[in-house]
Amino acid sequence: MVSLFILIPFVLAAFLPLIEKISKRFLPDLLTNLGILFLLIYTMTYGQQIVALERGIRQLQWFNEQLNITFALDGFSLFMLFAIYLVSFGVTLFSIDYMEHYGNKGIFYALFMIMVGGMSGLVLATDLFTIYVFLEVSAISSYGLVAYGLKHDELEASFKYLMLSAVATAFLLLGIMFIFGINGSLKLGDIADRFASGEYRFVIGICTGFFIFGFGLKAALVPFHSWLPDAHPSAPAPISAMLSGLLIKVSGVYALARVFLNVFGLNPAISTVLMYLGLISILVGAILALGQNDIKRMLAYSSISQVGYIILGFGAGTNLAIMGALFHILNHALAKGLLFLNSGSVEHSTGTRDLDKMGGLGKRMPITAATTVVGSLSVAGVPPLNGFWSKLFIIIGLLQAKAYGFAFAAILASIITLWYYIIIQRRAFFGKLKENWKDVKEVPFWMAVSTIFIALICIIIGIGFPVVISNWIEPATKVLEQGINFAMRWLRL
Amino acid sequence: MQILYLISILGLVVFSILAILIKDLLKAALSLMGASVFLAIIFFFMKAYYAGVFEISVVAGLITVLFVSTIGLIRSDDFKESKMPTIIFPLFFIWFIIIDILILSALVSKFPLPGFKVPEPNTFGEVFWHNRTFDLVGQIGIIFAGVFSVLALFRKRDKNG
Amino acid sequence: MVDPVRDWYFNLLISGILIMLGLYCLLSMRNLIKLLIGIEIIAKGVLLALISASYARGSILTGQSLAITFIVIEVSVIAVALALVINLFRHTGSLDVKKLTKLKG
Repeated sequence: MVSLFILIPFVLAAFLPLIEKISKRFLPDLLTNLGILFLLIYTMTYGQQIVALERGIRQLQWFNEQLNITFALDGFSLFMLFAIYLVSFGVTLFSIDYMEHYGNKGIFYALFMIMVGGMSGLVLATDLFTIYVFLEVSAISSYGLVAYGLKHDELEASFKYLMLSAVATAFLLLGIMFIFGINGSLKLGDIADRFASGEYRFVIGICTGFFIFGFGLKAALVPFHSWLPDAHPSAPAPISAMLSGLLIKVSGVYALARVFLNVFGLNPAISTVLMYLGLISILVGAILALGQNDIKRMLAYSSISQVGYIILGFGAGTNLAIMGALFHILNHALAKGLLFLNSGSVEHSTGTRDLDKMGGLGKRMPITAATTVVGSLSVAGVPPLNGFWSKLFIIIGLLQAKAYGFAFAAILASIITLWYYIIIQRRAFFGKLKENWKDVKEVPFWMAVSTIFIALICIIIGIGFPVVISNWIEPATKVLEQGINFAMRWLRL
Repeated sequence: MQILYLISILGLVVFSILAILIKDLLKAALSLMGASVFLAIIFFFMKAYYAGVFEISVVAGLITVLFVSTIGLIRSDDFKESKMPTIIFPLFFIWFIIIDILILSALVSKFPLPGFKVPEPNTFGEVFWHNRTFDLVGQIGIIFAGVFSVLALFRKRDKNG
Repeated sequence: MVDPVRDWYFNLLISGILIMLGLYCLLSMRNLIKLLIGIEIIAKGVLLALISASYARGSILTGQSLAITFIVIEVSVIAVALALVINLFRHTGSLDVKKLTKLKG
């Protein structure tokens, strides 16, 4: 049943604090990890069956009475669910050991499951307002999670994030209100139907502006990115990995792609705007990442840059560009999650995030150093890791769309990305071992297991990418390419 | 009827302005409550009875209680807000209204209000429970997220962290 | 009663004024609680726009469902924000937003 994707996270979240009171030792960890592992396997088996049938919509039945909930489980949603559960599984494995710092793991896991449940609901929704509600679910739980450590930095970062996000979602709701005023119904299929006739171009223009502001702030596109370099470094490391790897892509990029490609239709105006926003994000993120001393802040600016690549791919609109953008969502989620988890490992062992103070840690922490190398090369786009293929597809797609300047800038930014990741490697892990790090220990068991797991998946996807593409990304690309027709035919129920 | 409607709108805007400009936090929260009551009256004029009742009980009730209890918990030294916002506020306000009227009068011609009506079931219960069921699941999620976030922010540490 | 079509534009005008008031409050006030009052005023503007749009369409029941859901969301956000403000007060001892400049954005 498709509803398991939403029921399991919420039901687990409801009971986890009580379970923690019963047994603090291992039961919350075990239940959370098993829950996410089950959902991951469920996506891969049951989800593939459903998508292969090419039917987009499921309707729930409850005791022989029609419960009017419809889920949109098409190729794009399934691919996002796969990415969500894969990265969440690695993060929950990591937080078994890491969250011992913070205590009260029951509440942490409960908030985490609510965030995962909110993201699952967002990708499965067929109605624009439902997308908004689940976006707020995962946003509210992320406000609590960013401030989880209760120190001054974290509270300040969470407060600024809350303020900016509340304004953005209010404007988002204004855009939804305009659409409601013209349409009367908020289902994606009906909106696509009504707007296809072309007499509402002005309204589409206004709503595009509001949606780019609202979803663009959640996706950290460049004029609206200022909350990210504060919120992502201050959060605990597993939450930084979740936010940077998943939340900005599910709340921001998925919603943008769904609305602009399936509902509004990709006309040249929207395409140009998206491509320019993507380009500015790539360049600003890459350049600002160079001057940072804090390892997590550098990774946060790099996230801004990579999301720019994804939006650039979606804006270009050709088949290969969309395929590259989708693939990059998965790759960047895995690699950036891995890098943030490793920065958490470094902070756990040495107590600092400042690159000036680190040096030569590779000798004492070989697993962390090796997995960081894998993650960095993946984001920078070095073959044969997964990041290379997705960036290649985006660049070839741009060349096909005759956007030569954009392709050149994308390649340039890729070189800058490689440069600053090599800086991280050299300053943190290689080089001379400083005196005070002489008896630094390697990370505990579960943290090592989770980072090795994600690194292996990066390598496997990099080498076996045709399999991944034909199974997961082809259906998603087909959905997005059909544009308005997909929404009108399938998302109408 | 028109006069009463205009008075409600005026009350809403005036109480919002008071909530911004008053320096004492408690009185600002109370004027926010006044604005909520006027908004609920406007909802009643537009026949949105359920929304009006919900607005009064939740926004004018629960949120005001939250604000007042927070203000009561915080005894802070009074720092001087700069006088600038209060002085230049009337100019800004007139400027807002002019820009707003200009934008909307430009938009009036371009916003067609279509004549078609989407059929709706007869009672509110049917719409709320039948058409918008997925939103209700979302609302449960929101309440969980809010409650757990507040619990997480006020938790007692069992070890030092 | 009120003429729906003409009043959609009038209500949008008032809603626009409220949203701009809220943004002005966010940009110019220094007290943390005043910032939350600014968010509340923006929410009132959005609610007014929502209900008046649904009244102009005639589908007031759907509009009320949307408005009720939005009120629940708003309460939750304000509750989390107030919890953050109380914790910030415990750390810095004041409600001044100018004390929150440790992170440079």
